[in-house]
Amino acid sequence: MHDAAWRRFVTLFVTTFLGGVVGLGAFVVLMDPYDVVPFSLPIERRLVSISQRHMYPQVARSGRFDSVIVGTSTSRLLDPEVFNAALGVRLANLAMDSATAWEQLQILSVFGASVAKPKMVIVGLDRVWCEPAADRERITFRGFPEWMYDANRWNDLLYLFNLSTVEIAGRLLGYHLGLYPERVRYDGFEVFVPHEEQYDLERARHNIWQGPSRSVSAQEPPVRLSEQEERALRFPAVTWLQDAVSAMPDTHWIFAWMPVHVAAQPQPGSHAAAVENACKARVASIAERHSATLLDWRVPSSLTSEDANYWDPLHYRLPIAYRLVDEIVAAARGRAERRAAGGSR
Amino acid sequence: MLFQSQGFTLLFLPLVLAMYYVAVGNAAARQWVLIAASLLFYGWWDARFLPLLVGQIGATWMLAGLHERTGRRGWLVAGVVLNLASLGTFKYLDFFLASIEAALGQPLPRAHFVLPIGISFFSFQLISYLVDRMRNDAPIYPLRPFALFVLLFPHLIAGPIVRHNELVPQFALDPLREGLWKRAGAGLVLFTIGFAKKVLLADPLAGIVDPLFAQAQTAPLTFGGAWTAALGFSLQLFLDFSAYTEMAIGIALLFGLVLPENFRRPYLATNLREFWRRWHISLSLFLRDYLYIPLGGSKKGRARFVFATMGTMTVCGLWHGAGWTFVVWGLWHGVGLAACRMWQSAGLRLPALAGWAVTMAFVLVGWVIFRAPDFATAGSILASMGGAAGFSEPLQGLGLLAAGAAVSALLPSAHEIKDRWLTPQPAWAVAAAALAVYCVLDVGKGAPTSFIYFQFWSRTCTMLPGAGS
Repeated sequence: MHDAAWRRFVTLFVTTFLGGVVGLGAFVVLMDPYDVVPFSLPIERRLVSISQRHMYPQVARSGRFDSVIVGTSTSRLLDPEVFNAALGVRLANLAMDSATAWEQLQILSVFGASVAKPKMVIVGLDRVWCEPAADRERITFRGFPEWMYDANRWNDLLYLFNLSTVEIAGRLLGYHLGLYPERVRYDGFEVFVPHEEQYDLERARHNIWQGPSRSVSAQEPPVRLSEQEERALRFPAVTWLQDAVSAMPDTHWIFAWMPVHVAAQPQPGSHAAAVENACKARVASIAERHSATLLDWRVPSSLTSEDANYWDPLHYRLPIAYRLVDEIVAAARGRAERRAAGGSR
Repeated sequence: MLFQSQGFTLLFLPLVLAMYYVAVGNAAARQWVLIAASLLFYGWWDARFLPLLVGQIGATWMLAGLHERTGRRGWLVAGVVLNLASLGTFKYLDFFLASIEAALGQPLPRAHFVLPIGISFFSFQLISYLVDRMRNDAPIYPLRPFALFVLLFPHLIAGPIVRHNELVPQFALDPLREGLWKRAGAGLVLFTIGFAKKVLLADPLAGIVDPLFAQAQTAPLTFGGAWTAALGFSLQLFLDFSAYTEMAIGIALLFGLVLPENFRRPYLATNLREFWRRWHISLSLFLRDYLYIPLGGSKKGRARFVFATMGTMTVCGLWHGAGWTFVVWGLWHGVGLAACRMWQSAGLRLPALAGWAVTMAFVLVGWVIFRAPDFATAGSILASMGGAAGFSEPLQGLGLLAAGAAVSALLPSAHEIKDRWLTPQPAWAVAAAALAVYCVLDVGKGAPTSFIYFQFWSRTCTMLPGAGS
């Protein structure tokens, strides 16, 4: 009798455990919130999670876009719909928070492998592109789901059985049942900064300066690197950028050094500024060789010196974002016009 | 392969269990299944060390056989020396070289051997068999059960330390004997308890503790930070190690085997001697029988007792890691144990609550020394705990610390759960299975972290007294 009770106990345990594992496993695989399973349900998959590193590969592979933005959070406020209307492209903004250059190139690589002839690639450039250790420190503390970025979709099955995927699959089900909203527009665009009505200049100044406001003055005399010093500088990510551009020769490349506040830029005239200028020069050389459009807002200017343009040292406000989009569009149109004129000559 | 990985839980263990019970009617076949599974389990970490493991087992068995045939004790001594040499080479060689280098002030080369996982455990088990042979307390076993006694994957990597006469006779028992379902039920529940303690308490505690110990290497911690580091690590260590033990005992039960108890709520001890009767019991008993008593124990006068205690605890410290912080931790406990016995011999007593507080404070200081990478860091943390950096900031992760403390104090030991507390209530089965599913999902989010005890065996000492800061 006692043994029968224990037998029932074990049977119940095993049944519950297997039921839970198989049931949840099947749920995740069928809902497939990352759109990586070859045999999942044929349902519409919206972006119901803000984990950009996990959600964006499906956007890159979707075939719905012919152009892309990569970068960090400093590029995330660039609205693809404005580009689409102005330039006749289908653009996805796949910039990711705190993305290293290597991570940005991974999503670009997925996009490049999925789109036969990308029309336009906008690279929102930041400090990470000049990191001398970019090849050693390829990812951040957030981790990076490399398995999702390779060509093999079957190996992805090994990584799907976890709490967060179950939760995101549940959100997707909630979306289809009308219980949960889309978290990020399918083209990747999301206004992640607070609503403009909540803007508070004093608070923004505190965020920018971490204390009282200061003026940024140039170091005198400015540091000038010798030729030997410049040659010794390592910018592994810039080399990767060169390779990426070479791999998509028919694409219109736009390199944009994004406007962080002067408080987050190297002090003008300092050694750090000299190193960054050397990095920028190498990017400019790539741009010149490949007829890419180059914009540089990462300089002291009325835009980057005005506290009221920013939420914090890295993130400008939404109206500024639309100003930047207009400037990129104008630059892209200018290149197209120059090309057309050149062609007619 | 880690017990708490999805590969182990969802694939390895079910497959090995299936094969074991297919072969259950044939003792030899089911033992081969366990041997093969254990070699695969060990080789999963680093297959390069399989020859070392198999070689030490084979050599020990052959030397015991030679002793049986010739009656010459030298074969057994050779076996002990061989196992000690292996342990010393892989675990302690660089530590001794670093120590000599510091003493002489002359740079010396290093071997930089990778430490074979579990070498302390399997070497000690083999030595215990040889010493028992010397004491005429161990028979000659056939190679298969002898090898399985060492290899059995539930205890191979981190114990409990099992003696040949506890385990080998069990291999002949029919796994389908009376009590099969109770053993299976208890095994599943113990495995789940250990799993949950590991992933829901010990690992999150590590997330708080590790950055604090790292920070203490460069700057003093606040009062609250230092106490969080000390309390958090004390709980993390117990929860992590006892979790491994519960999973090991649980897995063994699924195969019809009973492994010995290893922890009995050690943080409820009211004196240090009691603490060591509750903490890592299989190691304490091993050290008592194979070191403390041969060194003289407590029956040959006070001086001999102090010598035996200090010698045993120094080895205990070194066994945990090749570093001077471990040696000092062992000595710290040696002093404490000697003082505790003398206090008790003098007929002195403390009220239980005061005794508990003194014991825990003593143990806490010891764990700071044990965990710190060097003496400077340990000293800095202990100073901050005493208020050297002021009395600012509250404890961090208070909820987690409280949950860890509650589980440490309230959850009965594995054998108590198995023998006394667990009843075949359907609700328990469903709740435990649901918890197991949750844990399996929890470890699926990334690479699982290693059990904390593995780290101590893989840490080599580079910090020496005076050179540590």
